[in-house]
Amino acid sequence: MKLSTGTNHAAFGVPLKGPGRLWTELSILFRIQFAIVRDSWAWVILMATMFPLTTVLFMKFFAENPSEEMMIRIIAGNLIFGVIVMGMNGMGQEISWQKHEGHFTYYASLPISKINFVLANLFRGLLNTIPSFVILGMIGQLIYGIQFHYSWGLPLVIILSLASVVGIGVYIGFWSPNHQLTNMLVQALMMVVTFLSPVMVEIDQLPAPLQWLSYIFPTTYAADAMRNVLLTGWSRGVMLDCVVLLGYSLVTIVLINKMVNWRVNK
Amino acid sequence: MERMVYEVRDVSKLYKKGKVKANEDITFDIPEGEILGVLGPNGAGKSTLIKQMVGHLKPTEGRILFAGEDVSKQTRKVASLVAYYSQEPHVLSALKTYEALAFTGRLRGMTKSAADREAEELLEQFGMTELRNKQLKHLSGGQKRMVGIGTVLIGHSPVMIFDEPTNELDPKNRRLVWNLIKERNRQGTTVILVTHNVLEAEQVVHRVAVINHGRLLDIDAVSRLKQKVDQRLKFELSTEFGRKEEVMAALAYWGSMQDNGENRLVLLVEKQEASRMLDHIIRHPELPIEEYAVKPPSLEDVYFHIDEQVRKEAALV
Repeated sequence: MKLSTGTNHAAFGVPLKGPGRLWTELSILFRIQFAIVRDSWAWVILMATMFPLTTVLFMKFFAENPSEEMMIRIIAGNLIFGVIVMGMNGMGQEISWQKHEGHFTYYASLPISKINFVLANLFRGLLNTIPSFVILGMIGQLIYGIQFHYSWGLPLVIILSLASVVGIGVYIGFWSPNHQLTNMLVQALMMVVTFLSPVMVEIDQLPAPLQWLSYIFPTTYAADAMRNVLLTGWSRGVMLDCVVLLGYSLVTIVLINKMVNWRVNK
Repeated sequence: MERMVYEVRDVSKLYKKGKVKANEDITFDIPEGEILGVLGPNGAGKSTLIKQMVGHLKPTEGRILFAGEDVSKQTRKVASLVAYYSQEPHVLSALKTYEALAFTGRLRGMTKSAADREAEELLEQFGMTELRNKQLKHLSGGQKRMVGIGTVLIGHSPVMIFDEPTNELDPKNRRLVWNLIKERNRQGTTVILVTHNVLEAEQVVHRVAVINHGRLLDIDAVSRLKQKVDQRLKFELSTEFGRKEEVMAALAYWGSMQDNGENRLVLLVEKQEASRMLDHIIRHPELPIEEYAVKPPSLEDVYFHIDEQVRKEAALV
C-alpha cells in the first residue's frame, strides 16, 4: 500500500537518489560529526599527538644511539598505534557516547545507512589522527634522520589498517550497555594491542603462544604493512598484508551491516 | 474505505522475562490524515509505544504494521516516511540553528536548494531568523524545542510524530506549533501527538488514545469520549485560602473530587444529584467557598474519569 500523502516533491525539489544521495548523506553526516569538535579541534589534535610524540622524543633518553631499524620500528609502531587507537578505542568510545547521549534516536529516525554513519565518524577521527601522523613522520626525518618511503601504498595501508580494526570499535560502541564499561573494555583492548601483539615490538620478541595468537589480530598485519611500506615502499610483503587487511575490512562491513542495529532495540 | 497508516495489533513489551511490562495488549489503528493524541501521565508507556511505532523498539508480542508492512522489518522505510521528534537531547546541539534544519532536510533526501529554502522559511515562521548562525547549545530551552519541531516539519513527511512538542514553550510559540500542526494536517499529513497537556491537545486532535500503566484505556473521538462522562456535571470551586480541606471533606459525598492546586477544586457530580448538591452549598453559607461554576466536561475530565474507572475495576479484581 502506498501512502497518498507521500513525499511532497514540490517541497523536496527532485528527491536525491543513488550515489548522489549516498554522497550527500555522507557529507552531511560528516559535517554533523565535525561540528562536535569544531570548537576544540586544536585540543583534540594536541592530545592525539601527545602520546606518540612523547614516546618518540623520549627515545633519545631511553636508547643510546638507537639504530635506524629500531627507530623505524618504533616510529612505524607509533604511527600504526595512532591509527589503531582511533579505529578501535576512539570509535568504540565515540559511538558508545553518542548512543548513551540519545543521538541514535535522531539518526535512527532518518533514512540513512549505518555504514555512512560509521564512515562519517571515521573521517572525523582521521582528521584528528592525520596531523599527529604527519608530525611523527617529520620528527623521524628531522631529528633521527630517517628516510621514509612515501609511496602510493602508504595511504592504502593507512585506510586498510583503519578499516580492518574499526569493526571492533564499532561493534563495542553499538553494543555498549553503559559508557563506563565501554571505556574499560577499550582500554583493556589497547593493552592487548600495545603489549601482547607485535605492534610496538617485533613478533619474534613475543612468547610463542602470543606469536600464534597475534596472527588472528588484524593489528599484526597492519603494523607489518606500515613498517615495510615506510622502509621499502610497496612490496610483495606489503601487498600480502594488504590482502589480509582487505579480508578483515570486508568481514567488518558485513558484520556492521548484519549484526549492528540502532533501530530495533530488542 | 479508510486507508490505515498504522495498524497496532496486540502489542506488548516485556522486560526481565516478563516481570516488567512496559506495555500490554495494545490494539488500535490510525487512518491516513488523522491527528491522534496519545495521552497519559508520566511513565504511562506512551514513549515506549511510540518507539515501537517508529521501529526503535521491537515489541515482545504482537506486531505493528506501517502502510501494511511490519515496522520491525521495514525500519528504513518507516524512517523515510515518518518524521519523529523525541524529547531526548539530540546530536544537533553543536550545529548552527540553520544547519540543524537544513541538514535534517538533506538527510531526508531533499536537494540543497529545497532544504535551504525550507530551513529559512521555518526560521522565519519561528521568528528565529536572527538566530540562524547561533549554535543550538547557546539557545534557550524553548528555542531549542522550536528547532527540534522544525526538524520534524522540514521535508513534509507524510507522517509526523511529536513527543511533548509544547513543553518549555511560551504561550505564543505553543499556539504557533498547534497552528503549524493543524496546517500540515490540512495538507494531508497524519500526525501522532504524544502529550500530557490535555487542554491544549483538545484543540487539535481528532481522536485520543488514553494510556496508563502500559495499557490502552480507551481510544475514540474527543466528542464521544466526552459523552462517556457527560452523565456527570463538573463543578469548579474556589475556596478560601488554607481551607480547601474543609470543603473537600464537606462535599466528598456528592461525587469524585480533584484537587487542582492552590485553592481550586473540581467536583464531578451525577446529573440527578447536581441540584441537591447546589442546594447543599446554598444552605451551608459557612462553607469557605468563594466561587463556584458549572462547566461541561473537558478532555482532561475524560482522562481522569477513564483512569478512575480502570483503577476501580482493578481494585474490584
